[in-house]
Amino acid sequence: MTRRGVAAAAARYLLASSLALGGGAGGAGAPRPGMEAVLGAQAPSPAVAFPDFVEIPGGPFVMGADPATDPSAFDNERWSPAQGTGTVEASTFYLARHEVTVAQFAAFARASSWRVDPQALAGPPSHPVAFVSWPDALAYCRWLEGEVRRAPEAPARVKQLLAEGWRVTLPTEAEWEKGARGTDGRRYPWGSEPRRDRANYENRGTAAVGTYPCPECPYGLADMSGNVWEWTGSPYQPYPYDASDDRANLEADALWVMRGGSFGDQARQVRGSTRGAADPGARRAFIGFRVALVKR
Amino acid sequence: MSRAPKAPERKNARPGTSKGSAPADRPAPTPAAARVLWMPLALTMGLALLAFLPRVQANASLSWSFRAAVAGLLVWQGVLLLRMRNAPAAPQLAVTLRANHYVQVVVQLALFAYWGWYWRPIYDQAGLIAAQLLFGYAFQMLLAWSRGEPYRLGFGPIPIIFSINIFLWFRDDWFYLQFLMVAVGLLGKDLLLWHREGRMRHIFNPSAFTLTLFSIALIATNATDLTRGSELASTLTLAPNFYTLMFLAGLVHMYLFSITLMSAVAAATIFGLSAWYAGLTGVPYFIDSEIPAAVFLGLHLLFTDPATSPRTALGKALFGVLYGLGVFASYEWLNALGAPTFYDKLLCVPLLNLIVPAIDRAVRSAPLRLPWQLHWSPMTANLAWMAVWIAFFGAMTAAGKTDGRHVGDSLPFWERACESGRRHACQTLIQIETSYCADNSGWACNELGRHYMEGTLVAPDREQALTLFARACEGRFQPGCLNLLAPDTPQTANPRALDLRLLLRERGLNLMEMAEPDLYARACEHGWAFACERRAGGLP
Repeated sequence: MTRRGVAAAAARYLLASSLALGGGAGGAGAPRPGMEAVLGAQAPSPAVAFPDFVEIPGGPFVMGADPATDPSAFDNERWSPAQGTGTVEASTFYLARHEVTVAQFAAFARASSWRVDPQALAGPPSHPVAFVSWPDALAYCRWLEGEVRRAPEAPARVKQLLAEGWRVTLPTEAEWEKGARGTDGRRYPWGSEPRRDRANYENRGTAAVGTYPCPECPYGLADMSGNVWEWTGSPYQPYPYDASDDRANLEADALWVMRGGSFGDQARQVRGSTRGAADPGARRAFIGFRVALVKR
Repeated sequence: MSRAPKAPERKNARPGTSKGSAPADRPAPTPAAARVLWMPLALTMGLALLAFLPRVQANASLSWSFRAAVAGLLVWQGVLLLRMRNAPAAPQLAVTLRANHYVQVVVQLALFAYWGWYWRPIYDQAGLIAAQLLFGYAFQMLLAWSRGEPYRLGFGPIPIIFSINIFLWFRDDWFYLQFLMVAVGLLGKDLLLWHREGRMRHIFNPSAFTLTLFSIALIATNATDLTRGSELASTLTLAPNFYTLMFLAGLVHMYLFSITLMSAVAAATIFGLSAWYAGLTGVPYFIDSEIPAAVFLGLHLLFTDPATSPRTALGKALFGVLYGLGVFASYEWLNALGAPTFYDKLLCVPLLNLIVPAIDRAVRSAPLRLPWQLHWSPMTANLAWMAVWIAFFGAMTAAGKTDGRHVGDSLPFWERACESGRRHACQTLIQIETSYCADNSGWACNELGRHYMEGTLVAPDREQALTLFARACEGRFQPGCLNLLAPDTPQTANPRALDLRLLLRERGLNLMEMAEPDLYARACEHGWAFACERRAGGLP
């Protein structure tokens, strides 16, 4: 499929499968209208800007990268000594189109007793939230799930999924990578070459979520490359990745995977297969997250 | 008890004034008002200068506390000056140096120096303690002169302020309450008086009086978090051989001021009650000691003020017994309330002060009069009691009941005691884990989280459990992270080396540099089965 073909397919796909919780389906390049309403000064508290979940259909995808064939790949992306990449089967799940914003996180901070780093709330409302630890991100997911269950304005389809046992949580690193790269093993969400007009990297700070349009991205997700690193629900372990055993060594010090690179990174770090890891208590200016809707 | 009488009576009765007092206490010749009023002004300026300390400047609330204290003192001085224009009497100043004050100051300074060597916040607090001293002196001068009385300049306020600071600090954000606590202590000393043995004396031990009032307010409002009282009580034993040091310092006090019977009998009462309780229930009463270090400190430096305690030997002994019983009962009461137990040594002192005349009367009455009389001089009798106390403390030390390792230091001991249903053991286990969690042991936070999630040892509280799992996770304890993902089936693991360095500190040893083989050997001695297996398996 040509790049144009991929874009058209993605657009069709978006219209069909996007669970637009904040207001219309919308494109990848602009913040949701519903979110605008919340971010505005006139937005009534405690309005919640529900995420715009995008369906990632189940099926296999190529995970990892082989440093032998891809000079930009890091050693920890290699699948195994004998194999450069692996194929992983992922069930259908939903991934938020955008990273969680400062405004969304502030709504959580206002509505809950969870202690957050004041720096997390200091950024522009439409920018991705940063200075959040891994437990902070999960606390947000738990709160959001409760809000979706409670709020009458939350879409019936999502309420139904939650009623069927789905959960709002962080994506595993496999889910994240599939969301970023699709099924064809591309290096970047838009293709094989770095593009400064497609993602916020090699830059000085964060940008409002969805500022960089990405019509070529497989599922229309914004900022899967750059802006802020995104926490995942996977403990850092050497490949090969095994979804059925995505559990950590209980005796080792905790280290959790983050993906996507940030505004301050080089092109090599913002590839779809780049694996970062951080102390779960780390609250940094370049680490944020996005939420997923999964059945586990 | 009577309230403070009118000024003329008081003047007649109090030492250091023109009538009815010993010549040694008589005030020095009165200087002119202007020549003495510079003193509170200088002290206030000193306080204002301390407001420029970096620590004060870094905290807006602390800075405002200083400004408010300075402003209050300046306004008071202004009002006093205006009053003096209309009244011919100039403020009087006398220098009165009392041995019991400066000896206590030396002992308290030695304690701060030694304790601070092992717990640095003591040294960091020096500037704030100095500020309280300046405030206290200025406050007491202005109070005396406002009441038309001479001010007796001496070391008096220092032991009061040091004593307050040994037991309770308000956090920087609430530091104005520390100034208020000092003011209340000094007001209590100067205003709450009664006739005793032909003189006007303060009713209450000044530091214990204000500490108790503030403690009751903090307990009632569940606001202990505004203070660092818990840290103060628990860090004394970071200093090695703390009990021995306090024992030695206490001997000086006992020798000079004949307080032996009070301190020793109080200590013996608490040791005795602890032993009785442990024999009855199989677990120690005070968790990790026979007598908590802060209580041991309190019975040397807090309740033994000669001015607010009985005079006779039997009265002193009875006072000591009652203090011991009071501490024991307060600890149980605080536990039952779910309040921090470090208040135990403070609460009963004002009550005991109030019954001192009754004790004095009782011991002079026929039923309590001893059938035999020791015809020793007070000095000889005191030395004899000191010898008994030295032998008693030596025996307790030899039995490992003071500075040595204590059975309650072992967390597995409390786990087993809890499983066996020993009295208060599960409550104590939760308390210990809470304390270690506060010290950033991820293992302890995760264990606590499990208890709150499972609801077996404490009432179930999912939100509290998730908060604790988060804390464990941020402490890099992996089961804590996994429990955030799946809280309904909480997982656990053995403590890591980092956790063991916290869990095995006993009463404050620094184990951060201890080699891992030694650490696991120590863990095995503390009853951690996995550590024994690890050693047996040849792992470091």
